[in-house]
Amino acid sequence: MGVTITPTMVGQVVISGLLAGALYSMVALGLALIYGVMRVINIAHGTLLMLGAYTTFWWFRLLGINPYLSLLVALPLMFFVGMLLQRTLVARVVDAPELSSLLLTFGISIALVNVAQLTFTSDVRSVEFLTGAFLVGPFAVSKSRLVAFAVAVAITAIAFWFLQKTKLGKAIRATSQSSEVAMVCGINVHRIHLYAFGIASALASAGGSLVAVMVAIQPEMGQVYTFKSFLVIVLGGAGNYPGALLGGMLLGLVEQLASLFLTTQLSEAVAYVLLVLVLLLRPTGLLGGRAT
Amino acid sequence: MRWAVLAALAIGLLLLALYPLVATGYGIRFMLQLFMWVALAQSWNLISGLTGYVSFGHVAFFGTGAYAGAILVTTHGWHWGPASLAGGVAAVILALIIGYPCLRLKGPYFAIAMLGLNEVMRVLVSYFEGLTGGGSGLSLPTLHASGQIYYAMGAAALAVTGAAHLLITSRVGLRFMTIREDEIAAEAMGINTERYKLYAFLLSAFVPGVVGGFFARDQGYIEPISVFPLLTTITMIVMVLFGGKGTIWGPVLGAVTLFVFQELVWARFLYLHQIFFGAIIVFVVLLMPRGILGVLQERYRLPRTI
Repeated sequence: MGVTITPTMVGQVVISGLLAGALYSMVALGLALIYGVMRVINIAHGTLLMLGAYTTFWWFRLLGINPYLSLLVALPLMFFVGMLLQRTLVARVVDAPELSSLLLTFGISIALVNVAQLTFTSDVRSVEFLTGAFLVGPFAVSKSRLVAFAVAVAITAIAFWFLQKTKLGKAIRATSQSSEVAMVCGINVHRIHLYAFGIASALASAGGSLVAVMVAIQPEMGQVYTFKSFLVIVLGGAGNYPGALLGGMLLGLVEQLASLFLTTQLSEAVAYVLLVLVLLLRPTGLLGGRAT
Repeated sequence: MRWAVLAALAIGLLLLALYPLVATGYGIRFMLQLFMWVALAQSWNLISGLTGYVSFGHVAFFGTGAYAGAILVTTHGWHWGPASLAGGVAAVILALIIGYPCLRLKGPYFAIAMLGLNEVMRVLVSYFEGLTGGGSGLSLPTLHASGQIYYAMGAAALAVTGAAHLLITSRVGLRFMTIREDEIAAEAMGINTERYKLYAFLLSAFVPGVVGGFFARDQGYIEPISVFPLLTTITMIVMVLFGGKGTIWGPVLGAVTLFVFQELVWARFLYLHQIFFGAIIVFVVLLMPRGILGVLQERYRLPRTI
């Protein structure tokens, strides 16, 4: 390539990678939760992220208030949207072969994306807020990405505290270990499914809100995030919640490193190569998950 | 009964073969696209309908075939016929690269790998500008071959429907369907599931590649967006689900119904059209999992192998 790579560049890449990775971890944790408790891969996960992004966009456009405050609205809103989806549609296919749930959530995703195309138009939109970067020594750190990192870490920490310490969180983990045993212990598994889908939707939409301030958004933005979230849970081991954190950070780093050596265009394909490689070499993920 | 069906089929094929003699240019193009959709839907049916492994990125094979065919025609001066067959081979090679790691695992791994594949192919095709013309696309030399492409597309649709018939009525097809019903049981019965899943996948990739080559020749110009659209995959899936997955005639029925409907009504309302597609998928999965043909089979006690 003829470009010398200096230690500063590597440092910059590591910083950017970790900043992006925290966001991936948070979003992927949502997908991991749904997969953990129901064995359903939610193809509409990225679509829910897109809805969160638009909530933030319209909040900022119409009210002109700090876009990060929209999280206070978007999270509860998407929590209920998620519960509604689970209650009306997804619950019917939880016990069906996985073909059904994959196709169902794919159908939901197509319908929602095109409702968004129709109502928001397919124009690329952006939230003009907190542009520019901090300069720390030789490194530049984008302000919006730094805030996104902080918020994502905070939300992920709360989610983990919730899973570890609260009764409901323990019930969710119990259900993901074994639905039958959880049921025998008196856990209302259907209610757990409902909460898990709600929480997952809220996590996805939080990702969307943060992304909306960082980059331009449009209705079809979600698919990439569905794919990346899935890659993250494959990396970490499907159904392994701490694995999702590790996987997210790793994906962030690998993507940024790749952009150092390859063009931005090609680095989009790196995540894909990574998925194929992990599936070939270590299909149960780095931390080991429940095998398929 | 059997002879009546065969005679009806033969007459139908004869009429379709003679149709270009009386058709207008629009009529030929309409039928040619209909054949293309039958071929694509039926190909998706081979992997997803028979083995139950959902491919969310089948258009990647279509696009790969289109590019391989178009490159051979423009830079190597091949005739579009063999070039399209080579496009099919290119699609099969791609399927082998993706299918080998992903089909060793169950369900969702394969589905999501396919979801990403299409994006990656689009990126790669845009990147290797020297070969593919990048974002500015690839123009094929002018040639009026609608009549020939009509027969070529028709042959592709017929071939893949014939393949579906051969599979569904044979032991190999039974192995595919056993994998769909219960993969562990299939393995316990001594079926090498890894190998048969890969066979089904390679089979299902070939015809979309060939048809992609025909499509490139027919359009005369291709670009990454025109041959790798997610909508094409969605359309294949909706057609098969609607008609009845895992059957011989379901994909044909679905393709004909939805394509005619699409041409007459929906082409003017792109987004509403796609919302409608999403709704069909949800509706069929929840309420009519075996599609229209499945409902008919149950009501009129038709044989499984139609």
